Amino acid sequence: MKKLFRAAAIAAAAALALTACGGGGSSSDPSNVSPTGEVKPREISWLLSRPADGAVINIMKKLADDYAKDHPGFALNLITTPDRPSYIQKLETLAAANKLPELFDTDATPFAQQLAKQGKMVDAEKLLKSLDIYDDYRPSALDYQRFDDGSLYMIPFQFELEFIWYNKALLEKAGVAVPKSLDDLPAMCTALRSAGITPIAIDGQDQWPLERYVAYQPFREAGPEFVQKLKQGEAKFTDPAGQKTVQWMAELGKAKCFQEGFSAQGYSDAQNQFTSGQAAMYNIGTWELPSLATDKLNPAVREDIDFFTLPTTKGSVTSANEFVSPSGIGMAVNTKTYDPLVSDFLKFALEKYPTEYAATGALSPTTNVQTALPGNATPLYKKALETANGLGAKQAMPWDTQLDPTTNGRLQQELVLLVQGNITPEQFTSTMDATIKQNAPKFFK
Amino acid sequence: MLPNRSRTSVLVFLLPPLLLYCAAVLFPILQSLFLSFFSWNGISDMEFVGLANYIRMITADDIFWRSFFNALLYLAICLVLQLGGALLVASLLTSLRRGRELIKTLYLLPAVISTVAIAFLFVRIYSIDPVGLLNQLLHWVGLGTFERAWLSDVNTVLAAVSAPEGWRFTGLYMLIIYAALIAVPKELEEAAVLDGASKWTLFTKIRFPYIRPVWITTTIMATTYGLRGFDIPYLMTNGGPGQSSELLTTYMYKTAFTSTDFGYASTISVFIVIECLVAVGLILFMLKRKAD
Repeated sequence: MKKLFRAAAIAAAAALALTACGGGGSSSDPSNVSPTGEVKPREISWLLSRPADGAVINIMKKLADDYAKDHPGFALNLITTPDRPSYIQKLETLAAANKLPELFDTDATPFAQQLAKQGKMVDAEKLLKSLDIYDDYRPSALDYQRFDDGSLYMIPFQFELEFIWYNKALLEKAGVAVPKSLDDLPAMCTALRSAGITPIAIDGQDQWPLERYVAYQPFREAGPEFVQKLKQGEAKFTDPAGQKTVQWMAELGKAKCFQEGFSAQGYSDAQNQFTSGQAAMYNIGTWELPSLATDKLNPAVREDIDFFTLPTTKGSVTSANEFVSPSGIGMAVNTKTYDPLVSDFLKFALEKYPTEYAATGALSPTTNVQTALPGNATPLYKKALETANGLGAKQAMPWDTQLDPTTNGRLQQELVLLVQGNITPEQFTSTMDATIKQNAPKFFK
Repeated sequence: MLPNRSRTSVLVFLLPPLLLYCAAVLFPILQSLFLSFFSWNGISDMEFVGLANYIRMITADDIFWRSFFNALLYLAICLVLQLGGALLVASLLTSLRRGRELIKTLYLLPAVISTVAIAFLFVRIYSIDPVGLLNQLLHWVGLGTFERAWLSDVNTVLAAVSAPEGWRFTGLYMLIIYAALIAVPKELEEAAVLDGASKWTLFTKIRFPYIRPVWITTTIMATTYGLRGFDIPYLMTNGGPGQSSELLTTYMYKTAFTSTDFGYASTISVFIVIECLVAVGLILFMLKRKAD
């Protein structure tokens, strides 16, 4: 029995050692963006986190089919997990097993930065430049994909603006106007509540929507650098910008800004509350244009819906035209499997993609195409698209792509408690500062 | 006693499942034990840290202890609902003359429904906005003051996520206990009734002692399943709000697959294995001692 146990232990150790070896760096060079050789068609895979029937997937499927016509034997296998948390777990597990496919989606997270550091992702800036399409991209679409050191390893496929959509009739009923400052929001919520209206509909289940709010005050108070410093432990929640957001979040909670029981409500619950005229505001991006600015929108509220962009604050260091403008989850190219075929297909697809994408009524990450207005669009659709033309240089980064995963998870949990009034701003501050202190050094060394 | 040759053949046939069991159960446990001495995020090199993960878990991790106590409470609620409910329903069934099969089937039904469907169903039942079944019922019976967002309230969420798990498996344990109850010899019961035993005495002195071995098995099953409970709380609240419904299993899963801290997650999983073994040991000890 003893012998058996020893043998099993050795086998376990050996298996782990093998896995660890497998997790090592690749021999390919991330900056070698133009591999030479013959294009040999085969099936390649793209691990992605996008809606299965969404524009990106539909277009890429079509482009892959077109490419296969001239390259028999080529196929693009799209493996999608739209649910972001599940996708991230899948990606991290595959990365740990060194089994990432040719193409995979990722945000500019600290984990992705570690992959890039290990040479597992092709340098996207060099790749786009070698394909001569780098200058077509909106600078802010590329900036969203960059790591803090300015390096670019992901290619954007979208460009979105995040607004606060509101119901004019409900605001009028409560006797409130569009907020001039972020600091006006709590009072606005109180007025709406007294009029029997839910102020803001939010998807609490997915946690990132509430995390957007914590980013707003520091972005206005201290600019986009705050979160970059915070995540590394160089800035703290005890700093003025940190305290401002903590107090503000607590005030939003006290004013009952979000619907009752929001933490257990999902994406469609929040959307329904707003589009059925129960909630006055809804913070969401232009990916919702088809349901908020077309005739698909409930006729009872269609005329009353409008949007405003992130309000500024007194002494704000960022301007009104600077807010959250993400270019979606990016696509990374695996260095280990990067060969003439992958390079040739990407050249083919990326050149044709913007035209096809803009034709669906979405904002392209490039500026060389004009977005087509859908036939059933309301005037709001055009207004939303035009807002993209006046964007400022700085953008507010969503914090869930910035913080290390443990800190991010804890922040999402503590924010709900803070907004529900289960913990005090002081408890929130000390918990979060301690969490960052414990976890940041491991990720940002 | 089997003749020598057939004993060998039995052993030979037992070997493949034993090997399968070792590969599927023992090997991963050993692997977790090994990993728990390392710090590893999955993509960088593994770093040997000795007992640091264990020390951190026991002395410096508030979420771990919170999850541990939550898991115990979750277990208690599940056991009361599963075993208490099962024993009650099974006992009542034995005195029922008609419709037994129908009732058995109805009780067993939740056990065959997918966990995801159950989780979504209960999220709707507990909802306050739009108003769900539970709050609607409270309103109808005049207990409107108790209406609340059950899954967002830190005081009620743990009970709320435990109940579906209890509800789900009551039928399964009921079937097992019912099968044991109908095997109690009728002569024994009749003799006791002739001696003037009340229904309660009949149950405590004849029936329950007779089904004790089955009871021990079901208790062990329900306890280990309860300690490993994961899917329903994970799907319904993801451990929240805050850490109010975080269990050791959900915390271990998040530590591994969200925080990519595989070493520390292995430490927690080793703790879960030990916890299950201790629980089974305690159950055997207590119930066996009572039987003696």
